[in-house]
Parts: sequence; structure tokens; C-alpha cells
Amino acid sequence: MSKETFEEALAQLEDVVARLEDDTVGLEDALKLFEKGVRLARRCRTQLAAVERRVEQLLAEAGEGEEVETAPFAPPEG
Amino acid sequence: MTGKVLGVGELLREVNAVLAGALGEVTVRGELSGVKVAGSGHWYFQLKDATGTVSCALWASRADRLKFRLADGLAVLVRGTLEVYAQRGSLQLIASEVIPEGIGELQLAFEQLKAKLAAEGLFAPERKRPMPGLPQRIGLVTSPSGAAVRDVLKVLSRWPHLAVLLAPVRVQGRGAAGEIARALRTLGASGRVDVVLVVRGGGSLEDLWAFNEEVVARAIAACAVPVISGVGHEVDVTIADFAADIRAATPTQAAELVVACLEGQARRVEVAAERLHRAARRRLERLWLRLRALEGARGLARLPQRVRLLHQRLEHLAELPRRLRAVLAGRQRRLEGAAARLLHWPVRVGAPRRRELVTARLAVAGERLKALARHRAAELAEKERALAALSPRAVLRRGYSITSREGDGRPLRDPSQVAPGERIISTLAFGQLRSLVVVRGGAQARLFDEEAEHQQSGTASVKGARKA
Repeated sequence: MSKETFEEALAQLEDVVARLEDDTVGLEDALKLFEKGVRLARRCRTQLAAVERRVEQLLAEAGEGEEVETAPFAPPEG
Repeated sequence: MTGKVLGVGELLREVNAVLAGALGEVTVRGELSGVKVAGSGHWYFQLKDATGTVSCALWASRADRLKFRLADGLAVLVRGTLEVYAQRGSLQLIASEVIPEGIGELQLAFEQLKAKLAAEGLFAPERKRPMPGLPQRIGLVTSPSGAAVRDVLKVLSRWPHLAVLLAPVRVQGRGAAGEIARALRTLGASGRVDVVLVVRGGGSLEDLWAFNEEVVARAIAACAVPVISGVGHEVDVTIADFAADIRAATPTQAAELVVACLEGQARRVEVAAERLHRAARRRLERLWLRLRALEGARGLARLPQRVRLLHQRLEHLAELPRRLRAVLAGRQRRLEGAAARLLHWPVRVGAPRRRELVTARLAVAGERLKALARHRAAELAEKERALAALSPRAVLRRGYSITSREGDGRPLRDPSQVAPGERIISTLAFGQLRSLVVVRGGAQARLFDEEAEHQQSGTASVKGARKA
């Protein structure tokens, strides 16, 4: 999931909210805006939680275009 | 001619022997001028003061050990031995060491590299890249055993959805700068990180030296993703800090910048979502107020049973926002409680899975509630339109009229209800007509079918109408 998409979705959500808060928008449009806003908020939350917590370290150096090798890493005690 | 006759080469060897015996190693103070580096890597320069000049040579093997760069005008001490360069018969000082005077060697090297890279535009503000919108995958270049890695991971553990990829390197001593530069290239090219943190705990200028080396500065500037530096304590400034996209004062602060960014983004989403729902609720509540106003309007109280039932359902619907809020508040409290319990590092085995399940269930429940609210709002709008259409006033305005016998308020539905010669009253949208029945029409003249039960039916020929 690209990060641009998150920022775009968030900007769109804020725009939708501003429009929905404008009382001159008709009921039909307001409903559509609300639905769009709910969808955007869900997308933002999904992306915020998309990465699972983990700590890894690089094992060996990867060559050009090679996938890097990793292993779990635990910080030293102290 | 008296004395020994010597060949030129022989003479010079004798001179060199005398020089070595008489002076040995000397240390000379002076200012550099005419500094040149040959293709071989050897350095040649003059050492001058107000009263004299001596040519000097610094072999490549020695020059490599210098942290700073020889330059015209530098005040230095040169240690070395004097000899005559046989090819030219000129005296030169073969330097073994060049030491800057008045300023530390490292300080000088720092200033020189800073000036050089600044002149190249490597530190220019327009080169700086901003923090990515969602810095969730963090590359970390530091020692795997230092205090810095512990400090950084501790701060980063505050955010649950964040992956760290550590590139373990030495952060001081020979070769450290090369390792740091390589790690930056590897992480940048891996496509697995959004931002890289280059950090090291506090230490002396010598300890932090790797972060003042050119290879590190260039690797930072060339890194495929933005780089945050956090080297030493607040007071320490390194070349790496100048080259970095974002400079943090310490390793801890570098990690805090990342977490603060993510927290800020999450807050923006929640604030927007809350405003979204509040705006929708306000809409529903206003709709309800308008319905109440309609209810109070004249005539509505006498609407048929079916319409009244409809109205009761609308009242029920209007209660929805309040009930939804109560349900959502309950869920929110449970979610916050669960989140508080789960937010501990290190995460207990099984806890992430449970948290996911709870989060997923909450999300599903939340979506179901939202869908319900949406559905109800749409229903509400439709009923509102139906209500407006059903109002007798609206019907009359469309051109229909209600006819009744004089002295009897009940509407007439069938011509057989009146006899010729009786007086009838027709109610129109903007007034009444009083008429005399002349002839009754037949049943074949019905205008509407049975479904149009709320509307008057039948025809009557009217004579002698006059305004009521």
C-alpha cells in the first residue's frame, strides 16, 4: 500500500468533512458524502495499522537487486 | 687541486649522511604554500616563514593517515628528515607527519569537509526531504550492542504498527564509516524501509568521528529514502547531521520524531472521523425537528390511521442517533480498555492475535451500525417526502377539490349521495364554491379506481356557482 494513498485519503477525508459540515449541501449529497467519508476513514485506519510490529536485523549484505536476508533482533539488556 | 675528488652522486650521499647525523629528525614550524598532489598520491609543498622556504614531500602512504587536507596558508608543524634530492641537487624535507597548529587536527578536518560539501550544495535546504506521510517501516543504522539501539527501540515500541530493520554496524574505529555508508546503501535499496535512522550515543569527538567522514555524508545524501540523524548528545554536531534530511539531537529524539508523526496522523484521522459522524447526526436531528413542525401543522392531526402509524415509526427513527451514540460509546470504552491492556512491550505471546480478533470484531460491529444509520437516514428522507405529498393541502394545490353537502362536513365520494336540487360546497386550495346540483352522472363515469380511496370520486354537473 503506497504512502501517497494514505495521505491522499486523509486529505480527501478532511475535505469531505468540511463539505458535510456545510449545511447548504442537500440531503442526498450529504448522505453520499457521509458514506464516502466512512469509506475513507476506514481506509486510513487500515493503513495506519497495516504494519505488524517486529524488529529484525540484516544478516548479510545483499548484492544489487537481491532480496536482503533478515533475522529477528532483540535489543541488549541494560 | 687538493683533497679527494668525488663524483656528484657520491657528494650528495656524503651530504645526506652528514645531514642525517647532524640533524636527524627535525620538527619545523611554518606555513604551507604551493601545495600539489601528484598522480602517485604523493604530496609536494613549500614550508615558509618570514625568513625562508624549504621544499617538502609527503609520501602517499603517510598522507593517507591525515584526517585533514593540506592547503595553502595552513600553519603547521612538519616532522621529518632533511635530504638532498639527487636528481635536482635541491634540499627537501621528507615529512613523516604534518600537524595543524592552533586548531585540533579533527576540528580542522571537520571544518574543511563541511566547507567542501557545503560548497557542493550537499547541505542545501532544498535537498532536504520531508518525513514520509506514514513512516511505518524504519531502517536503523547503529551498533547492535550500544545504548542507542536500546533507546531507539524503546521509544519506537510506543507505536504498535511499526517494523524495524536494523543494519548492525560498528560506529567507531577504523572501517566504521565504510560500514555505515554501506548499510545506508543497502537499506535504501532494499525497498523495505520508509525512512532510515542513523544514530549513535554520546562520546568524544574521536568516538563520533565516523559520522564526520565524507563517505557517510555522501551515503546519507544519496540514500533512496529520507534519513534522520541522531548522533551523540544535544551539543554534538556532525557532518552527518548536516547531510541528513532531518537532524535529531539524540537517538531518542530521532525515534520520537517517527512516533510523533504516526501519532499525529492517527489523530488527524480520528478527528476527521468524529467530525464526520457529528455532522451526520446533526443532519438527522434537524430532519426530525422539521418533521415535528409538520406534525404541528393544521390538518395533519386528522390524517388517516396509516399516516399516523408512519409518523410513529419516524419518531422511533429519530431516536436512533442517541441510541447509536450510546452503543458506540460502550464499544469505544471496551476498545480503549482492551487497547490499554494490550499496549505493553514486549508483547505477550498470543496477545497480538487476540487484539486483531477484537479489533476486527469491533470494526465489523461499527460498520454494521454505520450502515444501519445510513439506511435509516435514507428511509427518513423518503418518508418525509411521502408525508409532504399526503398533506390534503398539497393535494388541493394540485387542482383537486373536496365536495360536501351543505351543512354536512363529510366529503362526497359518490354522486348518489346527493339528489338534484341539493346544495353542495366545494373546497378548493384557495377558497370555497357553493353550487346547486342539476343532474347526477352515472357509475360508468368514475374517474379513479379503488386504490385512490383518499381522493374524492364521481362527477356532478353544477349550475349557478357563486363565491362562498
